[in-house]
Amino acid sequence: MPEQTTVDAIVVGAGPAGSAAATVLARHGYSVILLERGSFPGSKNMYGGVVYPRILDQLHPEWWLEAPIQRWVTRRSTMVLTDTQAVTVDFRSTDWGAPPYNGATAYRPDWDHWLAGKAEADGALLVCSTTATGLLRDGSGRVVGVTTDRPDGDLHARVVIACDGVNSFLAKEAGLYGEVDAANYTLGVKETIALPKDVIDERFAVRGRDGVDIEILGGTSGVNGGGFIYTNLDTLSVGVVLKLPKLGAQKLRPEQIIANLKAHPAIAPLVEGGEIKEYSAHVIPEAGLSMMPTMTADGMLVAGDAAAMCLAAGIWLEGVNFAMASGMYAGEAAAEALEAGDTSAGGLAGYERRLNDTFVLRDHRKLHRAPALVLSDRVQHRYPAMIANTVERMFRVDNPSPKPGLRRILNEERKRAGVRIRDLAKDTLDGLRTFG
Amino acid sequence: MRIAVCWKWVSLDRDHDVDERWAGVSAADEAALEIALLLRDAFDDCDVEVICLGPKDADDVLRSALAVGATSARRIDASAELDGHTVSAALADHLHGADLVVCGDYSIDRGTGSVPVFLAAELGAAQALGLIDVDLASAATMPLRVVRRLDGGRRELLDVSLPAVLSVEGSVARLRRAPLAASLASRSIAIAAVPGPHGRPAEAEVHPYRPRARTLPAPTGGPLTRVREILDIGGDDGHAETVTLDPPAAAGRILDQLREWGY
Repeated sequence: MPEQTTVDAIVVGAGPAGSAAATVLARHGYSVILLERGSFPGSKNMYGGVVYPRILDQLHPEWWLEAPIQRWVTRRSTMVLTDTQAVTVDFRSTDWGAPPYNGATAYRPDWDHWLAGKAEADGALLVCSTTATGLLRDGSGRVVGVTTDRPDGDLHARVVIACDGVNSFLAKEAGLYGEVDAANYTLGVKETIALPKDVIDERFAVRGRDGVDIEILGGTSGVNGGGFIYTNLDTLSVGVVLKLPKLGAQKLRPEQIIANLKAHPAIAPLVEGGEIKEYSAHVIPEAGLSMMPTMTADGMLVAGDAAAMCLAAGIWLEGVNFAMASGMYAGEAAAEALEAGDTSAGGLAGYERRLNDTFVLRDHRKLHRAPALVLSDRVQHRYPAMIANTVERMFRVDNPSPKPGLRRILNEERKRAGVRIRDLAKDTLDGLRTFG
Repeated sequence: MRIAVCWKWVSLDRDHDVDERWAGVSAADEAALEIALLLRDAFDDCDVEVICLGPKDADDVLRSALAVGATSARRIDASAELDGHTVSAALADHLHGADLVVCGDYSIDRGTGSVPVFLAAELGAAQALGLIDVDLASAATMPLRVVRRLDGGRRELLDVSLPAVLSVEGSVARLRRAPLAASLASRSIAIAAVPGPHGRPAEAEVHPYRPRARTLPAPTGGPLTRVREILDIGGDDGHAETVTLDPPAAAGRILDQLREWGY
């Protein structure tokens, strides 16, 4: 009979959350196994392409000196599209192109690999190509380890941190999730398109390592969601995020929706001549606070996408930073519980306290109405036309007719878009309460 | 009984420090080890040794070989870019006395597959290369029955007597997964290393003649016509000819035809 393998902590999933948790535990001197199902960290992971690593100031000071970033985001645009129009709000700051930076584009196989390497350097034991297939429990139902897909693959630990992604089988097996509702999820699909660096620099008006983040409302072929374009050094990330029930109802293939986006007159000049190097897709936990699971069980914590930490709030689209922070706080709470000798749900309560006291749940709580508002039918299908037509008439010169007043244009375009005053007022109020 | 498995460790990113994401051994090399482990069960008192030429970065893959059950692992300390003849000579120094040597038929940088050929010559052993199947049951009775892929979807059955060098395709077998405890324990194993050759392969390279690609018009006619065109049969001006001859006469006829066509 094989000898039982027992460690202080098992972290399942070497993504941003898992590596942060493993780093913290290893630094506290605990034995940690970091399990990864891919052949290396990041090999299975996918996201749009922008990371906001400010939280790493606490974990890896001056992270920017070594982090594998593609470009620093110094220009951020929000674009509203109709079939023939585009309205863009464009912001750029040179401050974001210098330490301590703000956001950056990065490839996940590089980013996750680097973060996991930091955890290893601190003493965590990274075990790749190994999938956690279930939970081990003792007679009282307390989680005491995981089963894996390897022969003799049971691993025992005093605490398990599940960072196993959006479809966390471990969190579900532990009973931490309620019933799964497809309406809480979106599908993110992305093409990575190669273009020479100088062509990207020219088209996006950036130089050196400066990069651009364009978020798009509209342009998703009638499916509720949004689009994005991010600049990497010599590739573009072009993709869409699509609400699952709407995507199913439209019966459109996601790759066709990206093709339609790329054919839009405002987008086509940016991507033309590029070569598609990769197509990828991933489910996103989009509903924020309303879909989050119970965060702790006896012997177990949940962090990152496994805990639905993704923030999809229209103008704020963040996930990796929430994953790293929640992983870090999970690691701290687990270390605290191990030191106290109590890894029951009560002993691990420090995790939820940390989440509540920091941006992780404060931002989610503050913006809890945002996902529903941003993905609502009016915001998705009526307001883009209303905004674009209003701007078009503002800038159109109709001589010899005199210029109409802005209020009149707005009112006429509101009616033309089929938006009732009371709905506009309600959405404006919701927007102010959400983002104000 | 001694079975040796020869691996080629490669780092695909030669411009930077070794990154384990882009380095390792091929699926064919892994299949070679699995075949060796399966054959071990058929022989009494059999050891499986994995030998790899490469720098110290190759130690991790050798540890993984030990984790799945190889008896021993050895690294011949050598630079990564060596020609097949140099590699096989270095390997042969450590393989004399091996009853069976199993190699993958390609590395992750898609080398020439010439090492097993040179190795068989160095060892004076039989060779069966590019195998797509090894009949494990035949190991009990010997000779070993193996299957080679030939052009046109054909297969060649070979009975191989020992000593022999085999090279296998990646599809022959999938390497078993290491037990978790063995995988963890193997991380602290020191891999024995012996001195090997260093340097770069000679610059002069001779490539076989390859005709230039030609642009052909789109095919016309129905499927049957198209098949006939491709097979060059049934037409008035076709080159196909069916002859029935005994093997020596057939070989002579083929050679005559090839000479006529200018080969």
